[in-house]
Amino acid sequence: MTAGATRDPRRSRADLLLWIGISIVATAIFLAAFGPVIAPYDPTLATARVNIPPPRPADWPMLAWRSIAGSLDTPPHWFGTDANGFDLFSRVISAPRVDLTIALAANGLSLLVGVFLGLLAGYFRNLLTECLMRVSDVLQSFPVFISAMILVALAGRSTVNIVIALALLYTPIYIRLTRSEVLSQRVRGYVEAARALGNPEVVVALRHVLPNSLAPALIQSSVTIGFAILLTAGLSFVGAGVRPPAPEWGLMISSGANQIILGEWWPSVFPGVAVSLTVFGFAVLGNALETRYNN
Amino acid sequence: MTRYIIRRLTVGLVQLLCLVIAVFFLIRLLPADPVSRFVGLNSSAEAYAQAERNLGLDRPIMVQLGHYLGILPAEGNGLLQGDLGTSWVTGSAVTSEIAQTLPVTLELLTMAFLFALVVSVPVGMLAALRPGGAADKGVFVYSLFAGSQPEFWWGLLFVYLFFFTLGVAPAPLGLLSPLTSSPPTVTGFVTVDSLLAGRPDVFLEALHHFMLPVATMVFILSGPIIKMVRQNMVRALGSDFVLYARCTGLPRRRVAFYALRAALAPSITLIGILYGFMLGGAVLIESVFSLGGLGQYAIRSILAFDYPAIQGVILVITAISLLVYLALDLIHAFIDPRVTL
Amino acid sequence: MSNVVPEILCAENLKVTYRTPGGPVSPLVDFSLSIREREVVGLIGDAGSGKSTAALALMGVVRPPGNIETGRVAFCGQDLLGMSEEELRSLRGRDIGIIVQNPRGALNPMLRVGSQIGNVYRSHSDVGRKGAAKHAVEMLRMVGINDPERRVDSYAHELSGGMAQRALIAMALSSSPRLLIADEPTSGLDVTIQAQFLDEMWSTVQKTGSAILLVSQDLGVIANYCDRIVVLHDGRIVEDQKVVDFFRAPGHPYSRSVMSLQRNVARGRDDSPATPHSAAGAVADAPLVEVRDLAKDFPMRDSDKVIRAVQEVAFEIRPGETFGLVGESGSGKTTVGRCLLRLEEPTSGRISYLRRDITGIGGRDLRSYRSRMQIVFQDPFDSLNPRWKVRRILREPLDLHTDLPRADKEARSRELLKMVGLSDDILDLKPKGMSAGAMQRLNIARALASSPEFIVLDEPTSVLAPGAVSGLIDLLRRLQDTLGLSYLFISHDLTTVEHLCHRVAVMYLGQIVEVGTVDQVFNAPQHPYARALLASHLFPDPTRRRVDSPPEDALEGEIPSPVDLPSGCYLAGRCSHAVNRCHAEPQTLEKLADGRLTRCWRIGAGELRTAA
Repeated sequence: MTAGATRDPRRSRADLLLWIGISIVATAIFLAAFGPVIAPYDPTLATARVNIPPPRPADWPMLAWRSIAGSLDTPPHWFGTDANGFDLFSRVISAPRVDLTIALAANGLSLLVGVFLGLLAGYFRNLLTECLMRVSDVLQSFPVFISAMILVALAGRSTVNIVIALALLYTPIYIRLTRSEVLSQRVRGYVEAARALGNPEVVVALRHVLPNSLAPALIQSSVTIGFAILLTAGLSFVGAGVRPPAPEWGLMISSGANQIILGEWWPSVFPGVAVSLTVFGFAVLGNALETRYNN
Repeated sequence: MTRYIIRRLTVGLVQLLCLVIAVFFLIRLLPADPVSRFVGLNSSAEAYAQAERNLGLDRPIMVQLGHYLGILPAEGNGLLQGDLGTSWVTGSAVTSEIAQTLPVTLELLTMAFLFALVVSVPVGMLAALRPGGAADKGVFVYSLFAGSQPEFWWGLLFVYLFFFTLGVAPAPLGLLSPLTSSPPTVTGFVTVDSLLAGRPDVFLEALHHFMLPVATMVFILSGPIIKMVRQNMVRALGSDFVLYARCTGLPRRRVAFYALRAALAPSITLIGILYGFMLGGAVLIESVFSLGGLGQYAIRSILAFDYPAIQGVILVITAISLLVYLALDLIHAFIDPRVTL
Repeated sequence: MSNVVPEILCAENLKVTYRTPGGPVSPLVDFSLSIREREVVGLIGDAGSGKSTAALALMGVVRPPGNIETGRVAFCGQDLLGMSEEELRSLRGRDIGIIVQNPRGALNPMLRVGSQIGNVYRSHSDVGRKGAAKHAVEMLRMVGINDPERRVDSYAHELSGGMAQRALIAMALSSSPRLLIADEPTSGLDVTIQAQFLDEMWSTVQKTGSAILLVSQDLGVIANYCDRIVVLHDGRIVEDQKVVDFFRAPGHPYSRSVMSLQRNVARGRDDSPATPHSAAGAVADAPLVEVRDLAKDFPMRDSDKVIRAVQEVAFEIRPGETFGLVGESGSGKTTVGRCLLRLEEPTSGRISYLRRDITGIGGRDLRSYRSRMQIVFQDPFDSLNPRWKVRRILREPLDLHTDLPRADKEARSRELLKMVGLSDDILDLKPKGMSAGAMQRLNIARALASSPEFIVLDEPTSVLAPGAVSGLIDLLRRLQDTLGLSYLFISHDLTTVEHLCHRVAVMYLGQIVEVGTVDQVFNAPQHPYARALLASHLFPDPTRRRVDSPPEDALEGEIPSPVDLPSGCYLAGRCSHAVNRCHAEPQTLEKLADGRLTRCWRIGAGELRTAA
């Protein structure tokens, strides 16, 4: 009980990791809201300067000072420009509006539908819910990435279609998670007690079982959002995602892929670092939530 | 055991059939127009109708399905006869195209899994010996990181580093350089065929070209595998039966063996799931390195609206996943007597 | 005289420490203990008091990531903690045997039981694989496992708890250790088998001159088998006494709280509720609850067979009465309680509440009936919604069954807490972190919220620490006195039943085998099963030790499966009085001259009237 009083250094290191995760996720959300607004260049408008490498890190303080002082004609290209003349920095910080929105929307949709169906399947076990589980089984045996490609490519490469495709593929995960938690919660004593107190079944299911069965799905959310970002980027990378010139990390990595053999690394590396950090941030957050829930 | 395998295979077949039918309708329900893809948007109505007839898309959908499944004798061979149809793009049999591309993907995956296991299992075990120690923390953060990375981007980074900068890896342009004549196809696996043909140079060249894609995949795979091995090992070492084994004075080595076996058994299931997942996920790595595997075949077919090829790819990938799951479940049951078949 | 008996084990100032994320925690501090030859020492304490940690530390083992920070353990004069790893290893399992809690978890799930026993044997002696395998069969036979040649090939998950317990005992005893450390060795066993085991262990000590450290939470076990008792509280020894003295006058306040129920019982049963107190004389004779021919079958997965959990159960409960239902695990007593509340739909039979049949009602009727009849479950923690604060937990029944204005509901919640002896400043807390006793009181408060007349108490004390049990029993009696409640009290703990109930029914394999007043059943049980159950109950009284006067009512063999029940009397296969007719004829409850009912034709015929 007095554990909180003395702080172990190892604990604060675990906290440090969590804080890194939280700040990454917070930054991503901030950029999703304001990225295009604060971007120095219009992320979808090409400049005449093509394939400019980023300035050397040593020059950054100087550049920053001069751009604040207003002694530059045009803002510096912090991350350089790509083969089309797009400013990479503007595109990298504008991309969360596409990537994160798709990931959050797809996750939210599948979470909502999956938890609801999972509660039904776990609490009211009958022929109908058994059929639901079989359908969910078949859906889950689809190879995820290829199915997403098929859905998006054939339905049309739009943001909405990507969201729907991802939601469709992630819903079975939530059905399964919620169902198995509901199955273990519905035999708990407090559920029995709620029934003995005279609550109707629907009230027992919604007021007692549902809130206590949400945790696994919510924890999974953080992981799923991360994977949805990976998938969105991957789809664009193979040409089955959002259409250019939308600022999207996977699209940017893809358009720089051919240049990397020639040693022009920046068009792919900067957006890649952004994906890498963002997904890692969500993974850390998910892990922290899981650890807290299990203790 | 035999009965179990038969039952699993039967269930698997039913599942596959459901999947095939689901995919069949799904791709036809989606608002894509393969016909105009082939004849062009500005073609005449006549040319359009001709192309539609050629692709068989003018017939009622149930007839198309019957034809695809091979249950309409008048229509010639179908799935029932082991025929996956003809590609609309190349005009050759989907079965033979898959037979050409699948071995590359399987080679890549199998090598990647072997290396990933060889590296990750010991690391996970060592981390579990002192849970909460500095090494454990480091390993843990690594596994969290590696498990959440865009593999295609890491592939590109590796190319930049090992091909462009260091020059120790070949260019990401396929398995063999255009100047190398490929060995005669026996198994379809380049590494095996080159050895069978007595051409160690080709074997080594293929390995060299597999180096970066395998390394990329090992990096990505090591994350979840380390995490899982570590977790299972921590659980096993803290379990009542390991504690009790120490209390009964068993030698250290035997206690360690007790824990090891208990930790590995549950890991097997996850490896199966990972394998199935990567079978579809190899798409991106193949595309980065232009390996010409099943994944790239899938991309090409999907972007070209090549329905028979799409159906074939999905069917093959799912079938292989089901077989891998079955095999690993059998191994699991062999190691862990609590698992009943 | 005791100092001539050589010391087997002597521990001094042991301290065990765990490094946790919140800083070091020491579950065991300053632990000193000596055990002499032929001595059985009992170690008691609440859950989390450090009992199991102490048991392991005595053989130099600590659950990771803990370690023994300070202290000394001497075993037969050798310094145990200073030995080399190899010396210590060879000592464990050979000279010191251990039986741990959770026997099924202690066996390696991946290895056959026989090879596990063999591995232990081989690590302490110079035999080959074959010799060890033969030894394993012998050991299993020795601990009374039927068909040991087949059982050595079983895995842990194929064994019942009792069977696994025996396998552990076989391993512990296989090298005739000087010291046996037994941590709750009988926790997984049914009472009739528990006594049998402890008897054997006790006589082994007397014969071979070894010693036992018996860790237990059960005062009955301590009183019947131990010579000395050591009381652990919060990781420290608070008392170390002869058992006889301890039961007469426990010294430490914690020990006194542990002993309070026992001492209440010992005061005699004058104050026990002999006459049901009811308000209106007219209702007094009319039963409040009446059960007729109740049966409950559970379907089995992948099979047409059914588990016959409850059959032909009939009883009635009068207003203000406490009716006890006792029996071993699997006897169906809990199912009966759940059927009364319609948490389980009876397969057949009739349950009436104040003369009204309630088996078929539903909807609004069922709900209003549930305001008059409540249940308290076995696991207090499990029966409270972990996400809800106490305020909301108590509000729920008030919202369902009353039309009180908001402020009155708040006042009523505070009143309920006061009624069960809890402070009302816990209203804004969640149940997590409360003690099991407090949680169970909260459960009772919630059950009382709708002012019921009748409460089913389903083993309400079984997970509580000994100290909390007596408080809860006192509370239940007080509530009965002030509110005129009737209880159905379901328990396997005969001590609490004796203290709380007016009448009691003994169940075996889903049937009631004997019903009578507490006095009748406890002092002169008639049915052979009731007699065996009472005889194997270890009453916490060191002056009436079982080992001093071995009872003759023991049963043989194992309990039949409720799926394949015998055709005649269910006890016939285990009963020493069984004759051919018992095996052939199903039994019915018959009324005896003194008003009690028994399910045994031989008693009805006057053939077994021995123990009266």
